[in-house]
Amino acid sequence: MTTLTLDRINKFYGTLHILKDIDLKIGQGEFISLLGPSGCGKTTTLRCIAGFESISDGRIRFGERDMTNVLPEHRDLGMVFQSYALFPHMTVAENLSFGLEVRKVPAAERASRITRVLEMVKLGEFSGRYPRELSGGQQQRVALARALVIEPQVLLLDEPLANLDASLRDDMRFFIRDLQQRVGITTVYVTHDQSEAMVMSDRIVVMNRGVIEQCGAPRDIYERPASLMVADFIGHSNTIPGQIRGRSEAGYLVDTADGPLHAAGTEGLSGEVRVMIRPENIDMASGENTLTGRVTKSIYQGEDCLLMVELPSGAGVTTSVSADFSLSAGDPVTLGFPARKSWVIAA
Amino acid sequence: MSSVAAQIPRAISGPKHRAPVWWMILPALVLLVGFLILPYVSIVIMSFREASTRAVYGEGFTIAHYRDIVTDPFIWGIVWRTIRMALIVTVATLLLGYPVAYHLARTRSRMSSLLYICVISPLLVGLVVRTFAWMIILSNNGIANGALTGLGLVDRPVQLLNTQLGVTIALIHVFLPFVILPLLGNLQAINPEVALASRSLGASRMRTFFKVTLPLSMPGIQAGSILVFVLSISAYVTPAMLGGTQGRTMAVLVVQYLVDNFRWPAGAALAIFMALTTLAIVVVYLALTARAMRRLP
Repeated sequence: MTTLTLDRINKFYGTLHILKDIDLKIGQGEFISLLGPSGCGKTTTLRCIAGFESISDGRIRFGERDMTNVLPEHRDLGMVFQSYALFPHMTVAENLSFGLEVRKVPAAERASRITRVLEMVKLGEFSGRYPRELSGGQQQRVALARALVIEPQVLLLDEPLANLDASLRDDMRFFIRDLQQRVGITTVYVTHDQSEAMVMSDRIVVMNRGVIEQCGAPRDIYERPASLMVADFIGHSNTIPGQIRGRSEAGYLVDTADGPLHAAGTEGLSGEVRVMIRPENIDMASGENTLTGRVTKSIYQGEDCLLMVELPSGAGVTTSVSADFSLSAGDPVTLGFPARKSWVIAA
Repeated sequence: MSSVAAQIPRAISGPKHRAPVWWMILPALVLLVGFLILPYVSIVIMSFREASTRAVYGEGFTIAHYRDIVTDPFIWGIVWRTIRMALIVTVATLLLGYPVAYHLARTRSRMSSLLYICVISPLLVGLVVRTFAWMIILSNNGIANGALTGLGLVDRPVQLLNTQLGVTIALIHVFLPFVILPLLGNLQAINPEVALASRSLGASRMRTFFKVTLPLSMPGIQAGSILVFVLSISAYVTPAMLGGTQGRTMAVLVVQYLVDNFRWPAGAALAIFMALTTLAIVVVYLALTARAMRRLP
């Protein structure tokens, strides 16, 4: 177990700048998710930590130890791959034994550690099977067990749930998180699925085009996004363009084409901004902030009703309302939302 | 109750569900029986015929030709030489070809298609033309000896033409693609993350190769080496043109029996003997490699 430090990492492929000044400190036992659209550099970052990719500039440290130029086999980490990458010519037990044999663990201890970890992932009776004889979810747990049985300092997971079907994926989220907390291992998890990152992580690192857009607890990322990209990528959001006129009790007073809005935000903002409102914070009655518009589309979704509203300026707002509201296209509506649930983002 | 199948509308039980059409293999079957099996049968029969000075073979049947072969130390010498040479060619092509196949399977470089063409280049030139080129290269005042003397490695030209060594070198060149191509297909099918997983578990490159990559590439090794071994044993043009008497192989000897000495029954027996020997080696090899592959999917 250790801390993990990425100290201004840069990576070039030829002239392509893949990672730009990635700076990250991961605490002991912390679960960090690297989240972002494909091509954002999250997998490359993970491969740099694993040592499969060299970095052009910067340092990688496990605890105090500089790992920048250490070969992957000497980094003492456990890695779970998207494809599971189990050894097809070895049984489950032999897959787990592989890393222990490299470490010259005596046979008796190997056997007891394998048994213990297989119990942990609930695969005790499968030790003699070959990977091809297991389901996707079982293979996934073998991959996890193989990475954990060597008791590594750091656990790296590269989209481990991407190949599982939806219901299994939900179970595995909690399973992995629970296991990680029991073992207490420092973990870096790469995913493009925001809800996965949200429920599993201590902190989420949102990446875009090789840059860290924001790093923070799931609640920070969701409620107080640092940029438009983060607001758009995590959950549904409505953003209304405007201009800061002054301060207000909640934080800022923003002038928009559809009227003034009170909103919270980080210090030091001025000029052109956007006000972000999550659909679930919008009520169908006037509130601290009020907007009026016309319904353009109303889509019945069972539990609720998705409502698309056009404001007089032409901006669109999406919200969900109780299915009891029977609104149809063209109806006028009033939307209200609290100032502290409105968030100002630099445009 | 009437048959359920009869009740299924035509559209559902449609053409896709019909049994495979046996006559589609007919053309290949005719070719195989007419041009491979029948000639083989006639050679087997011929090998048991008595020798004749007036016709291709005589009236009666005999096993004398086989007895002559297995009791002749001269023939055993050539059998052994042929097998040894085929083994050397097989091992050498494997050792030379594996790294090339591995590189081709893993590289993402655009230059790789150029390398691919280089790999199959020995097959792009006609056999006889290519062998003539080797004659020029291997002769006493050829390029190979020029380079060796020029570098000061030898004082006077090494005899390469009309030796086993010359034949071996030329065969390795021709048969390299036959080991690279099956290996390439095999290596490409191996998930590259498996090797990375091995490294992440603490195994060095070397250990990863011997414990993971090599066992998983056994099917490619098996296919490639059998191809090269069988082709080397039966090669005729290369040893005939480059081997002289010192590099004479079984295939050359068989043709000598048939064409030069006009001993058709004895030559046929020699050919059958050689085919059976090759078959025996291949069967043993298959059994051994199957053991190494028993854990693969």
